[in-house]
Amino acid sequence: MYRYDEFDAAFVSGRTAQFTDQINRRISGELSEDQFRPLRLMNGLYLQLHAYMLRIAVPYGTLSSRQMRKLAHIARTYDRGYGHFTTRQNIQFNWPKLKDVPAILRELGSVEMHSIQTSGNCIRNTTTDQFAGAAADEIIDPRPVAEIIRQWSSLHPEFSYLPRKFKIAMSGSPNDRAAIRFHDIGLQAATNAAGDIGWEVWVGGGLGRTPMIGKMINSFVPNEHLLAYLESIMRVYNRYGRRDNKFKARIKILVHEEGLETIKGQVEAEFAEVRGGVLTLPAEEVDRITTYFAPPQFKAQPATRIDVAYESIIDPAYGRWLDNNINSHREPGYASVTISLKPVGGAPGDATDTQMDVVADLAERYSFDELRVTHEQNLVLPHVAVADLRAVYDALVGSGLAEGNTGLITDMICCPGLDFCALANARSIPIAQEISRTFAEPKRQAEIGDLKIKISGCINACGHHHVGHIGILGVEKKGGELYQITLGGDATEQASVGKIIGPGFEAENVPGAIETLVDTYIAKRESADETFIQAYRRLGEAPFKEALYGNA
Amino acid sequence: MGMPKLVTVQPAHDKLRALGILALNGMFDEMDAVGVLRYATSDVLPGDLAIVSSFGADSAVLLHLVAQVDPSMPVYFLETGKHFAETLAYVETLKKHLGLINIHAIHPDQADVQRFDPAGTLWETDPDSCCHIRKTEPLEPITEQYGGWVTGRKRFQTVERGVLPHFELTSDDRIKVNPLAYFSDADVNKYKIEHGLPEHPLFAKGYKSIGCAPCTSVVAEGEDPRAGRWRGLNKKECGIHFDFNGAIAKPVTAAAKHTLWKDGAFIADPFHDWSETSDPATASYTHVPLSVFLANREAFLANPHPLGLLVSPGERIEDVEADLGRFASVAIKFPAFSDGRGYSSARLLTQRYHYANEIRAIGDVLQDQIPLMRRCGINAFVVTHEPTREALIEDRLPEVALFYQPVGATEVPVGTRPFLRRAS
Ligand code: SF4
Ligand code: SF4
Repeated sequence: MYRYDEFDAAFVSGRTAQFTDQINRRISGELSEDQFRPLRLMNGLYLQLHAYMLRIAVPYGTLSSRQMRKLAHIARTYDRGYGHFTTRQNIQFNWPKLKDVPAILRELGSVEMHSIQTSGNCIRNTTTDQFAGAAADEIIDPRPVAEIIRQWSSLHPEFSYLPRKFKIAMSGSPNDRAAIRFHDIGLQAATNAAGDIGWEVWVGGGLGRTPMIGKMINSFVPNEHLLAYLESIMRVYNRYGRRDNKFKARIKILVHEEGLETIKGQVEAEFAEVRGGVLTLPAEEVDRITTYFAPPQFKAQPATRIDVAYESIIDPAYGRWLDNNINSHREPGYASVTISLKPVGGAPGDATDTQMDVVADLAERYSFDELRVTHEQNLVLPHVAVADLRAVYDALVGSGLAEGNTGLITDMICCPGLDFCALANARSIPIAQEISRTFAEPKRQAEIGDLKIKISGCINACGHHHVGHIGILGVEKKGGELYQITLGGDATEQASVGKIIGPGFEAENVPGAIETLVDTYIAKRESADETFIQAYRRLGEAPFKEALYGNA
Repeated sequence: MGMPKLVTVQPAHDKLRALGILALNGMFDEMDAVGVLRYATSDVLPGDLAIVSSFGADSAVLLHLVAQVDPSMPVYFLETGKHFAETLAYVETLKKHLGLINIHAIHPDQADVQRFDPAGTLWETDPDSCCHIRKTEPLEPITEQYGGWVTGRKRFQTVERGVLPHFELTSDDRIKVNPLAYFSDADVNKYKIEHGLPEHPLFAKGYKSIGCAPCTSVVAEGEDPRAGRWRGLNKKECGIHFDFNGAIAKPVTAAAKHTLWKDGAFIADPFHDWSETSDPATASYTHVPLSVFLANREAFLANPHPLGLLVSPGERIEDVEADLGRFASVAIKFPAFSDGRGYSSARLLTQRYHYANEIRAIGDVLQDQIPLMRRCGINAFVVTHEPTREALIEDRLPEVALFYQPVGATEVPVGTRPFLRRAS
């Protein structure tokens, strides 16, 4: 993991002191709320429905046990005993007091954490594959470059007041687990003919009210010129992105309105000027950062495989967990374990202080002190010896964290919705809870197989509903809540945006509608191997529409 | 040629520092020449001001002004050994006529002349070296004795002098006072006639700008008056005048009513806003909107006065790249602090186009953004927001003085890290 040196530590404490001063000026009334808003946002502090919300950065989703314990401590001391892991691989606390925020930031600083740029119209936390550095299919570990981007973009003087927020996602493997085509910039690791490693650059993707799939702007940017290339894109966006309408201010609209070729021309012209300048990354320095992310000291393991079928007979719940929550590791004898934060009837992504402590202990004992947060709002122990899986599972069972549902219908992404969010049109957590109760039966979930449901409480799409195989969007209808259903979204390298298939449903009818869709899929699929999204692509929307709305 | 001088004596002219050269120029913009000179001798540099005169065709006007203000001001004449006999006679004529009592002739070092110009023909093969041994070198020990110099330069004389101000700070921290900066050819003639000044004997023969005999020729009607000097050679200045783009003095006191923050103080702002009634041909000390400049480019380039440029969000600094040298100041507008386009304009100006004069932020300029503006190259701020003014005066901007990324030509990154972090 990256470790702060004196400079990093001084930077974070400098930023904390700066923000503390800003908070004090707000409390004293010297700053108006209008003047304070962008300042607090740039440090991850939102004003929500009931209270302030503080969003803490988990750079590229990587945490140590010590950091997780600190988060548990903050949840316990300054919040109501829990935190919420987000689709940005960050964590949010929903109930801090404004006057406590400086203390929280100091606590975070003591474990090399901060909330810099987790909000506001600036470059946000770079997200990446939760299995980075562990996945068997990886070309390179994207985290060293993600760390370099984090540093380059921290309090960038030119890009702190962009037209709108800006999100960068990176994938080090061809199987995109970071939804890079739905970010302002997506970086896909690539190799050129000479075998050099670089990045395929995608631009202008995003969700929100105008979902767009990113477009490839450059098929290969050498690693050493990546920052220069990013700066070129940022400058074009900062200068020409729309500022007249906040709903049209993301780079996706600029790319859409001007056309990829125009933007590409501007970016290339800028790149020609800055390329080879101060932002050139020397290989030795990339190597130096990379050593922070060196693989842990893996040991030769007695067991390299586990007989899931056998385990399933002995203990079905454990078998199910093995089946769904284990990802293959590039080191023989090891596996990555996904810890589901989607218990039946729970609020997706929430973890209590005790749960955080348990997970921290497990990471320390079984996963070389490392943890990951996934953009699907789960946690990961990236490097667990196969021989330790049972012990890890048993510990998770004791803490209500052993749900073996990763990738299944109950592993939903869900935004905070009307329960917390000031912008919401509708509740979303209760809908997710109701759906997970409907499909609680493990056999049923196994029968359905891979199916991603994603729920947003309003058009801002924080719950990524556009890229759910089934998406659910809360809208306001004559003072009540109504839920639109979309089908066919996909966040991976086969990116697609879901389509609305008909009129919305009342809250109480949503679980029934989802059951109808699932039943239709099971009835029409060619075999149990054909997933929901594959079947939808083959069949089109007609049979689903008919099942939901009749043949009118 | 002698060794370059290693020791320089620091002149003391705190008064000028306190005012700020730019502000001083704003105050004396269009003021009459005697006023400028009188203020310079009595207030700015009393007893610390001298003049070098060529006793050429126009020299009488400036010397007449000097005689009125202070006939005992030291007047140095570069006796290069190459002058017209008419010029040497003219020195005596003027001395008597004007009552100047402190004229000194400066001679070149004879050893240098022997060594580098034994045949007296150096001017033909290498006029730069000739001027060096006959003018620059002999003058150097003299210039070090004074805090400031009066010159007779005028804006109309050559293209390069189009934006000459009344006061300049030289790169070696001295002051140049140019009382005739705004004089036109016609003004000079009128002045000579009005005051009955004796003419240089060669003037009537068609010589307009008179220097050493070998290097001066007759100027044709309508030609730039100085075109007759070093005709045919790509040489326009003697090296004894200093650049217009000298640094700006640092004022040490702040006047509360001033809104322009620069170099650590609020100072008087000589610039005005462009208005409906402003005229491209005559505007002076005005920030011209970029679009207005482009629409009237020729008129502005012909305008002899100091001008600024106003860049609003959405305007492209690239469009005026070629003309940036024309502007003494660029104002970057931040209509709202949340509009970050100005940061890119500032970085392009400093980093890409190496613009080195004043860049000021105007509009919604608040303390929380000023540190970022500075890093992008903005070096002056027009501030009305009271808490921000206080924060500036008390030097407590909310700043994280550590940064990860290099952004400008002025930042020399520490260490070799890829993102070039730096402790400021
Ligand atoms: S999608 Fe809407 S309701 Fe949900 S968190 Fe985002 S803004 Fe709030
Ligand atoms: S003006 Fe001509 S003669 Fe006089 S010093 Fe210069 S080069 Fe020599």
